[in-house]
Amino acid sequence: MKRFKATALILVILLGGLFIYVAEDIPDFGDPNAPSIKSVKLFDLHAGPSENILNQGGIPGALTSALEKRKFPLPSRAEKVPGEERQWNIFIPKNEAHYANEEKYYWVVKEGEQLRIYRYAFVVRWFEKGLKETDVPNMVTHGLADYRGYDTLGETVVIFTAGVSVILLLRRRGKL
Amino acid sequence: MNPAKEKGSVVVQTVSRIMIPFIQLFALYVIFHGSLGPGGGFQGGAVFASSFILYIVVFNIARGKKRVPESTNTALSSAGLYIYAGVGLLSMIFSLGAAQYLNYGFIPFTSHFEGNRAIGIDLVEIGVGMTVMAIMISIFFDLAWDKGKEKEE
Repeated sequence: MKRFKATALILVILLGGLFIYVAEDIPDFGDPNAPSIKSVKLFDLHAGPSENILNQGGIPGALTSALEKRKFPLPSRAEKVPGEERQWNIFIPKNEAHYANEEKYYWVVKEGEQLRIYRYAFVVRWFEKGLKETDVPNMVTHGLADYRGYDTLGETVVIFTAGVSVILLLRRRGKL
Repeated sequence: MNPAKEKGSVVVQTVSRIMIPFIQLFALYVIFHGSLGPGGGFQGGAVFASSFILYIVVFNIARGKKRVPESTNTALSSAGLYIYAGVGLLSMIFSLGAAQYLNYGFIPFTSHFEGNRAIGIDLVEIGVGMTVMAIMISIFFDLAWDKGKEKEE
């Protein structure tokens, strides 16, 4: 019994240490530029002459073939990130397999001789286009009832089912 | 002993008689301002249900059942779901073959696609609020029901 408690104490301390270690990586609340909220790292590329091509709005061939090899959506054009040097937004064309409109999809950063390719998280699109697309200023509401309408319908069905099952289990007076 | 004749505290009864309408008003505010500020269907429905639960706790189940009959309650709980799914179905009908279920922009409330979406979101929130309110009251009734008292009635 005593040995059991000692093991439990050690495990709790280890778990607490792990939580503190992980908490270092949690971004500030509501910071849209926090790395884990903004983007997902995809891969690195050797830069070569691609900076000039990107600055003119074109897509370097190495990037296209690398994306094609990994079966990511293919890019159509590039645009400089406003106010930043050596950073570009890359768009995917209209009527791509999963997106009807042209969307800002990749984020390319040049560091030294490497191009780092990121994919924008959905939250970025939510921040930038949510109010424009739905006319509802509350981000939570237009996410809940519009972008995730199916999800909320399912949640309501779950609540309804819970109520009906409580009625079936507990309401036993007279006829059902 | 008849539960309908039980007397509670006069102070609690008087205060809650004044408070309940304001709680309900606040619940409606939370539902309808879900698109502008914090709030929404779930929260507003829970606040609305809590006002009825306060009524039942302060007075008694018999009087509570007179205010919120079980039949109305059950009807409301499914009506909320029907509103939600019905708005989705309307947008599917108005999208004319594109089958855009729950894409509220196609329902012609206003002339703007985005404005239609805002109104569709409000309608859907009302449906969610109705279901949540009715189900919470119904669960409370079922849990609070006392077998012994019911038999003596």
